[in-house]
Amino acid sequence: METSQAMNQALMKRKRNGQINIKSGNKIDSAVKWTIWVLTVLTVISFFFFDYTGLQLERAITETAHNLRVMFLEPGLSHFGWGEAFYQVGITLGLGVLATVFGAIIALFLSLMAAENLSKPWLSKTIRIIVAFIRAVPTVLWVLIFAIAAGLGSEAAVLGMLFHSVAYLVKAFSEAIEEVNPGIIEALRATGSSWWHIVVHGVLPSTFTYLLSWTFLRFEINFSVAVAMGAAAGAGGIGFELFMASGFYFDLREVGFITYAILIIAIVLEVISTRLKNRYFPSSVKA
Amino acid sequence: MPLLKVEGLGKLYDGETKVLRDVNFEVEAGEFLSIIGPSGAGKSTLLRCINRMVEISEGKVIFDDLDVGEMRKKELRKLRTNIGMIFQHYNLVPRLTVIENVLHGRFGYKSTLQGVFARFTEEEKERAFFLLDKLGIAEHAYKRCDQLSGGQQQRVGICRALIQEPKLILCDEPIASLDPNSSKVIMDYLKQISTEMGITCLVNLHQVDVAKEYADRIIGLKKGEIVFDGPSKLLYEDQIENIYGIETRELITV
Repeated sequence: METSQAMNQALMKRKRNGQINIKSGNKIDSAVKWTIWVLTVLTVISFFFFDYTGLQLERAITETAHNLRVMFLEPGLSHFGWGEAFYQVGITLGLGVLATVFGAIIALFLSLMAAENLSKPWLSKTIRIIVAFIRAVPTVLWVLIFAIAAGLGSEAAVLGMLFHSVAYLVKAFSEAIEEVNPGIIEALRATGSSWWHIVVHGVLPSTFTYLLSWTFLRFEINFSVAVAMGAAAGAGGIGFELFMASGFYFDLREVGFITYAILIIAIVLEVISTRLKNRYFPSSVKA
Repeated sequence: MPLLKVEGLGKLYDGETKVLRDVNFEVEAGEFLSIIGPSGAGKSTLLRCINRMVEISEGKVIFDDLDVGEMRKKELRKLRTNIGMIFQHYNLVPRLTVIENVLHGRFGYKSTLQGVFARFTEEEKERAFFLLDKLGIAEHAYKRCDQLSGGQQQRVGICRALIQEPKLILCDEPIASLDPNSSKVIMDYLKQISTEMGITCLVNLHQVDVAKEYADRIIGLKKGEIVFDGPSKLLYEDQIENIYGIETRELITV
């Protein structure tokens, strides 16, 4: 008994005032603490170094409020009609669909090679490294890179989005495939099935719903990227109109209208994908 | 000529852990043989060396006069069509129907394209229904496998093995996840298969009593070595004690 108490005494960590410490007191804890302190201090100091010349606080606030009110409470179209607006939203959706559908098909084949339970270790590692590299570069950059060959426009936008979608989906798909019960693969192997038989009749039926919901999730992302690409890469669609309305015509009402249009589509997509997620990923919601 | 001959079989994992050492035995066609032993004795590994689901490290496995260890990819697929396998967790594709899962047993006979597009002949489908009927689950043929009970799923597993028209069936703990009642049903079917169809059965079992009741011959495995090989009626208390390392009355035998 006494020895165990002595042991406990040796294990306990105490604060300077003698109280027993319940934090482990490791390096991570203190690093986090110090980071937060330093950031707080820097933020406070930075307020004293801003350039305040020409700032009329009262006017700035009222005018911003006015602009926002015009934008969101009086939306309207002046440079194009409803039909054209729908058509432009359709173009943006089309860019997203193209990139997602082609991306999903290519990613399916690559993910079969990247999944460790279906592939050779060297092949799976190689694909994973390449794909990780592609994912690390933002979509916009890929679009601009492809613009060198395809010229700024929808072709470059679709190619760049496709490239990034493939990389994203290969990771998601191959992880879904790796969660297939190894017993199923073993049983099919033991009947003398070839690799394609196992993939088509064992792996795909078990993962199909996962693959579908991941694809839809990516479509949601691709839609918002397509809006940005319309402006940044001249890919057309509603994003380009938004860019023209705000940067060219300074038409706040039109900006408001377009924002609402994009918002409605985004909400519809979000609702569908949440439903898919709840249906097929009941336990863990993967974002 | 024996159907299966195992000579000096050894298996190493990671080049050091020795799971099997110098295993020798022969199996005649039509035998019902049971392998017993404690968990980790190497029973599952031994079965998987026979159809080379795991690579063989030492020695030879000779099935039907062919050296299993030397086989290339194509010969290996042909070997596996001749050896059915039944698993503890049934290993069916849960989202597919019973009949689809049974027909998976025919893939070994199919080319890649035939298999991918599921081109099964009418005879094969009729055979599948015949086997399902024989095992008393024909009425569930169009149900999804995850709607079936454990005992029913295991019977689907047996059908999948039988439709391969195998010479040998390997059973890896076929009743370890089943209740006593379903266990008896499954063991009765396995026995029936071996006597009626003349298919050789190699069954891994935990339960000594079950092994003694059903098997013609028992092999006792302990730490990767054979410590008993003989007719089931010659397996006495002291040998069981030797295999499991404790007295039998201390074992919970179900």
